[in-house]
Amino acid sequence: MVFSSIIFLFMYLPFVLLVYYIVPRKFRNLFLFIVNLIFYGWGEPIFVLLMLFSTVVDYTHGYFINKFRDNKKIARCFVASAVIINLSLLGFFKYAGFLTETLNVLPFVSLPVIKVPLPIGISFYTFQTMSYSIDVYRGDAPVQKNIINFGTYVSLFPQLIAGPIVRYKDVAYQLEHRRETLEQFTHGVKVFMVGLAKKVLIANQMGVMWDSIRQSGEANGVLGSWIGIAAYTFQIYFDFSGYSDMACGLGNMFGFEFLKNFNYPYISKSITEFWRRWHISLSTWFKEYVYIPLGGNRKGVKRQIFNLLVVWFLTGFWHGAAYNFILWGLFYGVILILEKFVLKRFLDRLPGFVQHIYALFIIMIGWTIFYFEDMGQMMLYFGAMFDFSQGLIGAKALSITISYLPLFIAAAVASTPIASKLYSKIKDKGFMWAPDTIYCAAVLFLCTASLVNQSYNPFLYFRF
Amino acid sequence: MQKKKNALRFLKYLPAVVLIVFIFGLGILLWATPKADYSSTEKRYLQKFPEVSPQSVFGGEFEEDFENYLADHFFARNFWMGANSYYNLLTGRNGVDGVYCGNDGWLINVPVEEKDSRVQENIDSIAKFKNKISVPVTVEIVPSTGFIMEDKLSENHFKYNDNVFFSQLIDACNKNSMNFVDLRESFSQNASKGEQLYYKTDHHWTTEGAYNGYRELCTQWDIEPTPKENFEIEEYGGFYGTTYSKSGFWFTPPDSVQIWNNPRNDENSISVDITEGTQTTSYNSMFFLNHLEEDDKYPVFLDGNHALEKITNSNAPDGKLLVIKDSFSHCFAPFLADNFSEVTLVDLRYYKNSVSDLVNSGDFDRVLVLYGIDNFAADTDLAWLK
Repeated sequence: MVFSSIIFLFMYLPFVLLVYYIVPRKFRNLFLFIVNLIFYGWGEPIFVLLMLFSTVVDYTHGYFINKFRDNKKIARCFVASAVIINLSLLGFFKYAGFLTETLNVLPFVSLPVIKVPLPIGISFYTFQTMSYSIDVYRGDAPVQKNIINFGTYVSLFPQLIAGPIVRYKDVAYQLEHRRETLEQFTHGVKVFMVGLAKKVLIANQMGVMWDSIRQSGEANGVLGSWIGIAAYTFQIYFDFSGYSDMACGLGNMFGFEFLKNFNYPYISKSITEFWRRWHISLSTWFKEYVYIPLGGNRKGVKRQIFNLLVVWFLTGFWHGAAYNFILWGLFYGVILILEKFVLKRFLDRLPGFVQHIYALFIIMIGWTIFYFEDMGQMMLYFGAMFDFSQGLIGAKALSITISYLPLFIAAAVASTPIASKLYSKIKDKGFMWAPDTIYCAAVLFLCTASLVNQSYNPFLYFRF
Repeated sequence: MQKKKNALRFLKYLPAVVLIVFIFGLGILLWATPKADYSSTEKRYLQKFPEVSPQSVFGGEFEEDFENYLADHFFARNFWMGANSYYNLLTGRNGVDGVYCGNDGWLINVPVEEKDSRVQENIDSIAKFKNKISVPVTVEIVPSTGFIMEDKLSENHFKYNDNVFFSQLIDACNKNSMNFVDLRESFSQNASKGEQLYYKTDHHWTTEGAYNGYRELCTQWDIEPTPKENFEIEEYGGFYGTTYSKSGFWFTPPDSVQIWNNPRNDENSISVDITEGTQTTSYNSMFFLNHLEEDDKYPVFLDGNHALEKITNSNAPDGKLLVIKDSFSHCFAPFLADNFSEVTLVDLRYYKNSVSDLVNSGDFDRVLVLYGIDNFAADTDLAWLK
């Protein structure tokens, strides 16, 4: 199930809210656990078993890691086993097809290509449960003795399918001791509305813009091609950060507090800064559980470069089982290494707006690599972005750009903290309930209209 | 004073109240309101409540159908639809759902793009068909509304490719010795004189437009068109056509539909045989006035889409004409019925038998291919013409 759907907004959410606040506190996690599974299994109920499997396996591992915490050897075996099982799940469901296809390229190898449907959110929740085992082992998080509470954490529906990756230690206390307040609930509603607007009113529309520009290929001209990839740049940010906002907002409505996942990444002045602002929960995860254990920057420059490349290879590969994602990850790895050791000194001396242009240029190149799984098409699109012989902008691209200009500008403004700065200046004023309420009502109205419209498909050549 | 403060303290929770009222309210209304089976604006049957069974739930079909059910029966669906269309229009995205909102109430389909066009394939398969029969073939294609009525559109719109498509058609017709009736010039002229050749809220040509097409065709065939004065023109208002339904611009005023009736052709002289599958039903009028009750009144002509229709007119000069067509012919055929005692209409979307067999077994004098350019460019059934 996705948040931006009629079934979620008008059936699932009211039902879950109603029952959640009716049942006594001690049953609330159990109730959440059940409805999480409904949320997860909707459309593909079979994967509920996978979720239950994950829950039981990681719960048991946590239990034994804790039990043998004085015998490091045994405890370490259990951590290893937890990590291996989680990575195997991820490996089988997400990467098996890719790996078998890749190996088949080698001579004398002919493996059956494994095609399994990807269980939604598996990249997110396997990472969450690994953080649990590791943190229990490190003593950073208490063990969870109650399997219902643990299951509620693993399957928590707000962040289940698109993050943020919530580390167990960040919610361990909340799982058992949270106290829902009207304050927090209202805050959650507002954050949810921001996320819903980002997803439905901006990301979806930028997606249509990108799709319609992309189709014209070279005819778009240089500027047209850049406008196209800019639309995709907006689409991916508003889609992803909108989803994270909705997750945080929904979490608030049920008394949870999640960490921020995006912090205006497109205002960055360098790629190093960009990755501190983009998908923060993922970067943090890789830093804590891969980069630092590998030795981070403590073992000399050569080792640090190696560590960085490993992390960025994995970051890329995590995004999808295809070469372009690996390329995308390594592209960032190389840029980050360059920035760290060479570029930083020069960049810092440049005027601010040049640094912004540099960062956005790299980011948009990055999204071009990210979008095209087909290398041939990627090269064609790159060609169009730098081929001045096709003119500045094609007629169709121009027409699309004019049509989408108001939303495009809105997206650009919403990518900066201008609005939120303004808001934080006046948010404690007594009259703020009025704009807040009007905003929520307007977003609900427009998003409902848009969601209903997606289902409206006149069959105009119908036969009676 | 204290009371006022308390009220203010409550007001800051209003956003949450709005959400709760909104999602609970619409959630309840969705279930509490009566469910229609059929949507007349969309012209389709709505999703029925899906069957619950272990197979359907575990296979995912139940979930999919259930979501369609919720969407189809959402409370005040048309209202939301319209709100979305006007929101898109106000934020600059005219035409994003396939229909441009033009001036003076014109709702015009966006152009078919060159890369999506099947014009060449389709005219080629007509040429191939032509070589299988020994009857002269004429091709008449109606230009798109947007091409002729371009001045009704706002400045920023995609280009209508009629000129590209028409040159392809003319080339192919010349090469394969088929006649082509090019309506572009006469339509542009007559439209600029103020004749309404197309509906504002529908993708078809008006009866007036069809009459223009008929006159041009008669010139090509060197026969005498029935003069305009011979017709009794009846006009019926309240026609909301396909572009209206598709667009969601609900504030657009309706069109009227005209029936041009030649009083000479009464029920004694006219017979219309409609064949669907193996069943043929006979009527004695080309106009099906019962459809005037509906929002979409275009099916008043020949009862809308059918696989095979035969119009016989005992008043008309002897002659047999076969028309391979889309729905643009429905208001056009009554004019042809004045010049041919027998007009047979074949709709390839539904007629799946061999048309060349039909021609060769029926001593036809002429074959006419008549389509609107948008339909012709998008059509995938002509490829099966045999």
